[in-house]
Amino acid sequence: MLEDIITARKALFSDGVQTVLRGHENRNRRVVLLKGNLVQNSRSESRGISARVNNAGSFGFASIAEYTPEAAEKVLKAAGENALLLSKHRDKKILLPASALSESLPLNYNIIDMEQKKIIELCRQLDDYVVKKYPDLLSRTISYYEDSQDRIVCSSDACSGHLVTPRCYVYVTMSAETKDGVPVELFKALGGFGNYSDNFSDPEKLYPEIDKLYKKVMDKKEGVYAEAGQKTVILGGMMGGMLAHEAVGHTVEADLVRGGSVAGPNLNKRVASELVTMVDFAHSYNGAPAPLPVFMDDEGTKAVDDVLIKDGILVGYMNDRETAEEFHMPATGNARGWSFADEPIIRMRNTCILPGKNTVEELIASVEDGYYLIDSGNGEADLTGQFMFGVTCGYEIKNGRIGRALLDTTVSGIAFDMLKTVDMVSDEVEWSSSGFCGKKQPMAVGMGGPHMRCQIMIGGR
Amino acid sequence: MNGLRDTAGLMDGILKEQDIRKYTYTLSRSEKQELNLENGDFKLMRTVFNNSAYLRVFMNDRMGSVNGNDISREGLEQLAKDAVSAAESATEDPCHDIAPDQGSDVFRQGVTEPDIDRFLERIKEFLDVVKNEYPKINLMATIGAFDRWTWISRNSNGTEFEAFAGQYSFSLEFSASEGDRTTGIDYLGFSTADLDTPFIDMVDIRRRLENVQNSLDPQTLDGKFEGCVILTPATAADMVMTTIYNYASEGVVLDGTSQWLDKVGEQVASEKLTVSFKPYDERIIMGERGTANGFRAEEVTLIDKGVLNTLWLSLYGSKKTGRPLVKYTGSDLVIEGGDKTLEELIASVDKGIIMGGFSGGQPGANGEFSGVAKNSFLIENGKISGAITETMVSGNLGEAFKNIRGITKEQRCNGSTVVPYIAIDGIVISGK
Repeated sequence: MLEDIITARKALFSDGVQTVLRGHENRNRRVVLLKGNLVQNSRSESRGISARVNNAGSFGFASIAEYTPEAAEKVLKAAGENALLLSKHRDKKILLPASALSESLPLNYNIIDMEQKKIIELCRQLDDYVVKKYPDLLSRTISYYEDSQDRIVCSSDACSGHLVTPRCYVYVTMSAETKDGVPVELFKALGGFGNYSDNFSDPEKLYPEIDKLYKKVMDKKEGVYAEAGQKTVILGGMMGGMLAHEAVGHTVEADLVRGGSVAGPNLNKRVASELVTMVDFAHSYNGAPAPLPVFMDDEGTKAVDDVLIKDGILVGYMNDRETAEEFHMPATGNARGWSFADEPIIRMRNTCILPGKNTVEELIASVEDGYYLIDSGNGEADLTGQFMFGVTCGYEIKNGRIGRALLDTTVSGIAFDMLKTVDMVSDEVEWSSSGFCGKKQPMAVGMGGPHMRCQIMIGGR
Repeated sequence: MNGLRDTAGLMDGILKEQDIRKYTYTLSRSEKQELNLENGDFKLMRTVFNNSAYLRVFMNDRMGSVNGNDISREGLEQLAKDAVSAAESATEDPCHDIAPDQGSDVFRQGVTEPDIDRFLERIKEFLDVVKNEYPKINLMATIGAFDRWTWISRNSNGTEFEAFAGQYSFSLEFSASEGDRTTGIDYLGFSTADLDTPFIDMVDIRRRLENVQNSLDPQTLDGKFEGCVILTPATAADMVMTTIYNYASEGVVLDGTSQWLDKVGEQVASEKLTVSFKPYDERIIMGERGTANGFRAEEVTLIDKGVLNTLWLSLYGSKKTGRPLVKYTGSDLVIEGGDKTLEELIASVDKGIIMGGFSGGQPGANGEFSGVAKNSFLIENGKISGAITETMVSGNLGEAFKNIRGITKEQRCNGSTVVPYIAIDGIVISGK
């Protein structure tokens, strides 16, 4: 983990500008067993120092791939020069007010390295389990992926601290062939926040999830195409999380609001049914740690929860310090950078639609003719809130009962239209944390949601 | 920018000290100067100095690989230790290997000494043109960057490649608005080695800005029909690359899910389609020179007049399957132009769309795709009749490229790919 050479450099900060100095290390571990062959066996580490200087609204940023006091001095100087150069081309002058909170946050966790041999053994054990128990699969892949961020942040006029975010996952992918010889595939990510020992100390605990995945693959190989058109669907919790992140979350990032997103003219207006409340959680949910806790961002803002939609009314945006000032909202700690070389930009943390009162069984039983959409492989949305999610796992619902599995399909809609059709919400939330959000830089994010009944456009043949 | 020969000498010494006899490594050093604009205002100037070291070692047919960005003696020593540790943890697999001796070469690409003042002038000039000629356009995010880097790659068989390279790049995220009406976002970017041409005249920027301005009143379609989809060059590049990854890349060949496993030498697409990687094409600024396996990059035509020439296998995949090796691992895509103009293609379509973007689920191994047509226009009776929204398209990648109606002579070159418009029949297009 990083040794603190950052805090002592605060003495070098210039007067009259706002400065954040950040030491940052990213670490990755990757092992891939494809049909039992070790095709990837890699480790990587990158570290460096960055500085961002705000000179009356002109931002200068500089980073160096070295972690030394000399590197800190160099980036402070270069960032200051960049800000000054830019200020000559910019008319608008803004100096942000000092943050209300200026404290030093304690280290939140430890990063513990695991030797590569143990990681390979874990993958081998899971692969052996799959190949022995399910020899009829066309193919299987076991992938271990670990990434961690270790950051020391020191700001001129906000909080400082040393915070880490380790996470690790095993991805199990299975393929089978339909009776026509066409391959179908599903994957499941197992793991979460923490180190190897937090998630994989007993690999046998993963077997039940692997068994469930196999059943779904067998269902899918007998699957049918969805019928294209507007349908009544039950979105599973993972799909609900994707909706929260992609379709709504991005439109309420304040930098994108400033760019013209649909959330701009809809503030304090109804954008969803009254059953929908959505929050970007900082570090806790229901008294327990959120999937990827964020205690402070890379501007030194202490992270707090951000309520975005309350009972169907759009009530807030996610902000950095600059947009918070512009929109007269609190800065909530959403400005983050992925690596030492990345400037902080507004990112989601643990974005979630809150649970309702119905059970999942009640939701499914309520649908006469529709679909149950469980897992998504990817998703995108634009500023109008038009979204698309790939659906990798789903089933027909006929007369309130689960029917045949679906082959891969896609759903789409306009978020603020579609959310108004939500008329039942389940009483539990499913979270995921293995994904990356792409917005200039990658970022690890958590997302979650309940089951929801709604109307949605589905693609099919 | 100074070369890395001294650091490579240090690396060689460390490998020798640690008795590592079979290896390949690449060391690089890079600099970035990046100007970020938000809604047309200068927002942030960013400078990045980075290093990287990539090392693969082989211990009795066991392979381990490591990456890092600390290229000091201490950092490289640790990297070598970690690589050995990873390799010793692996199982033996003689198919992991390195390229035989490729000799020595020094590559110089693009421009390594930038004219930053001229670059800033070009950016300001672009902003002025957009403001004056395209008043409904919002330039949400504009990034202009100059990147330069040097790298050196050596392996234990004697290969040494060294490179000095640099380029300007310019990218935009933009939409249009008027009153309360806002369009979706379009994205574009290009790279260039010179600043001779105003940015507004690069690639197809004017056409893209006009298309977005003309999308403020999109229509929704009723029901569904099977029609012709004209892929714009950006969309065509994405869909062709997805097809290649889905059917011909190493992963799907090794796991046995490729639908083209036994199709080499056979017709897999329309005879109008020829798909190559051309790293030495003069229109491509930063073509690959050394492959990820350590070979000198070679041009390859994967699909020649619709016939699958080869699967896209690396040294590992080739040794594992006994199939031919492809000495290319980059993305310098060139799709040959056809014999039509865009106007002729549009005039030939009774009912269909011209699709400027595709937002869809990742197709499964069977190639089935469905998703939303973005930045798209309806074509009726040979004419563009207006922008569309909430429209989905679906089909099968393999089948789609067998049903090519026509390809334009015009190819779009953005500095890294060269791609025409491609019109495909038989795609399911569905509205509300």
